[in-house]
Amino acid sequence: MRIDLRVPLARARGLIALPAGAILLAFIVGAVVMLVSSPLVTGHFDPSLPLRTYAAIVEGSLLSVNALVDTVVAATPLILVGLAVGLGFKAGLFNIGGQGQFLMGAVASAAAGAALAHESPIVAITLSVVAGVVAGAAYGFIPGLLKAYTGAHEVVTTIMLNYVGIQVISYLITGPLRAQGASFARSPDVQNAELPAFLNVGTGHEAHIGILVILVVVPAISWLLYRSTTGFEIRTVGANPDAARYAGMQPRRLVILSLTVGGMLAGLAGAIEILGVSGYMPAAYATNVGFDAITVALLGRATPGGIFFSGLLLGALRAGAPLMQVKAGVPVQMIDLLQGIILFFLTADVIVRYVFRVKAARAKLDELQTVTRSYGSGTGKP
Amino acid sequence: MRSRSIALVGLAVVAIIASACSSAATPVPGLKIGLVTDVGTLNDKNFNQYSWEGAQAGATAIGAQAPQSAVSSVSADIAKNIQSFVDQKYDVIVTVGFAAGSDTIKAAKANKGIKFIGVDQSPCLDAAGVEDPTFGCKGDAAALLPNLVGIQWKEQQPGYLAGIVAASISKSGHIAAIGGTAAVPAVPNYMLGYANGAKSVKSTIKVELQYISAAPDKAAFADPAGGTAFAKQLLAKFTDVDVLFQVAGLTGNGVLQAACDAKIYGIGVDVDQFLSTPDTAKCTVVSAEKKLSKNVSDQIQKVKAGTFKAGTAKLDIGSNDVGLSPFHDSASLITPATQKLIDDAVAAMKAGTLKACDENAFGGCNIPK
Repeated sequence: MRIDLRVPLARARGLIALPAGAILLAFIVGAVVMLVSSPLVTGHFDPSLPLRTYAAIVEGSLLSVNALVDTVVAATPLILVGLAVGLGFKAGLFNIGGQGQFLMGAVASAAAGAALAHESPIVAITLSVVAGVVAGAAYGFIPGLLKAYTGAHEVVTTIMLNYVGIQVISYLITGPLRAQGASFARSPDVQNAELPAFLNVGTGHEAHIGILVILVVVPAISWLLYRSTTGFEIRTVGANPDAARYAGMQPRRLVILSLTVGGMLAGLAGAIEILGVSGYMPAAYATNVGFDAITVALLGRATPGGIFFSGLLLGALRAGAPLMQVKAGVPVQMIDLLQGIILFFLTADVIVRYVFRVKAARAKLDELQTVTRSYGSGTGKP
Repeated sequence: MRSRSIALVGLAVVAIIASACSSAATPVPGLKIGLVTDVGTLNDKNFNQYSWEGAQAGATAIGAQAPQSAVSSVSADIAKNIQSFVDQKYDVIVTVGFAAGSDTIKAAKANKGIKFIGVDQSPCLDAAGVEDPTFGCKGDAAALLPNLVGIQWKEQQPGYLAGIVAASISKSGHIAAIGGTAAVPAVPNYMLGYANGAKSVKSTIKVELQYISAAPDKAAFADPAGGTAFAKQLLAKFTDVDVLFQVAGLTGNGVLQAACDAKIYGIGVDVDQFLSTPDTAKCTVVSAEKKLSKNVSDQIQKVKAGTFKAGTAKLDIGSNDVGLSPFHDSASLITPATQKLIDDAVAAMKAGTLKACDENAFGGCNIPK
């Protein structure tokens, strides 16, 4: 019996063509920007700069075990928060609160880790991770509740809660959580709550056990969305809330659930970053993961598998950035630029379609529609 | 479709050929120097920029190849950037800012063959040689990490001198200082010195000390518009304040702008702001300086000369590494009597008979509760 691969291949092409085209165009535009600005980096016009830059990124993100570990470690929070944003898209929600939920998870796990610093590692790690997940969930629950019962738009409430989160952390770390001493404002070391490294120990490129979470969470969210009744309901609410209500589903419950589970994922990411990477939290903890995750979710077409790969791609760019700076002399802002252009081409997909002759996708672009129509249309109330 | 594809392929081919024609970099002998910034940009008119200028000056002075910078855009970048220089076998790594302290200690511990220079850092270790965030500092950092020097300054000393100037030129007897955040010790050091210096001239003077943010965040050090707004609010509340000292980096440049707008005197910080921020030069009487660029350059030269000394280099007025900038266009404001007060204070601080503030064990100021 011959298996006809044409249909699944065509379907895969339909899904991948747009993101792949956006990435390719972004790298071409990035190369042009580097060519034009090369006199600033090397002092003269340097046609080799784009290639040297991309070569350094590839070397720093792919071409050694150290580089691969760096990529996965950088990708882990992007994938988790990307899933949080993607889950929202599936429910027809544009969750911009990943940043705040990540930070609340981070500060909660930093606090728990500091309090449990001398307990046995199993107890300390478990409770600290749980603290992060619970804090993130609570911070996702609030906009969910507001959306469900007052119709307050999640774009507005999650953005505002991001700012509130920054101030709460500022207060906690300069106040009750501050490590005693003359040092600058930071939380104490988490010590025994630190996630142990299992690969590359002592090289400066350690792989901590937190990255293994991805292997569980990505399939779990995939199961939730595509194999469970709740997932079916979430997707139905996202596609058409009225039809969902008519079918006897409870849009309010599902909105709250989607944002709360998203908050859990973002909070988990925050916990893993603090317990696995930094080991403490400074008062001015600078991160962009909540916003980068929006690019990840859009690039991955809001599907768990797609988010996994797009998270790895953006993680690779981040992991390659240090070597790019050191070897090619191009500042880290180049990575932000590339990400920005990818996002631009994803949302302005007409351009990508024109250049690469991609037909209007047969696969539904529901996440893009959520972004473009979510604010300013409809009643807001689910 | 075909023509478009051909065009794209052609573009790629041109790019590859152009790249292949590039000049091969010729290695220059000598020390390889890398600099890892604090979170932000390289040209921040603040720590990153002046440390970078210092690294460049140091490299030139010892005939090394031009240094390389790695900018940190988020907190997690700092450790990754340091590691990247380590992997590329750099000889000297400069890390900028208090927030890089932990990562610098860890890297110095793991790479004893590389010299580390931590700007605005003070390595504090426990007896086992592990970083001590509680600042017990039981371990001898110089012995445990002989490849790491942290540079810090007694900011209270130039702050004190700025306070003498402020009290002398104030007509109302009411002056102010605006700091980015009390959470970075350098800021209250400057401000407490300023208040003490002013009171040494006139014990009844009223000094407002205000901080913009609780944490060393964007609002504290990288938001000029916010600085202007904060200063305007302060000046609206205390209408007779006629001297304003900024201790808030880029945010503070907005504070100076507010001083100019209100036609009162401003005092700059860290570098000679009459020169570095020409927009506000007309109301900048003087700046309380620390010689950041020079000090980073000095440390690099010490590595080359073999006179590198680990531990904390606490730089003060004794070596002229802190002090007041020239008065430039405002020289006429400074009477001989004021100049004498300044000279006497400098002499007394150098002799050790005058403390600019109530100093703690680390040479910083104890912050009054």
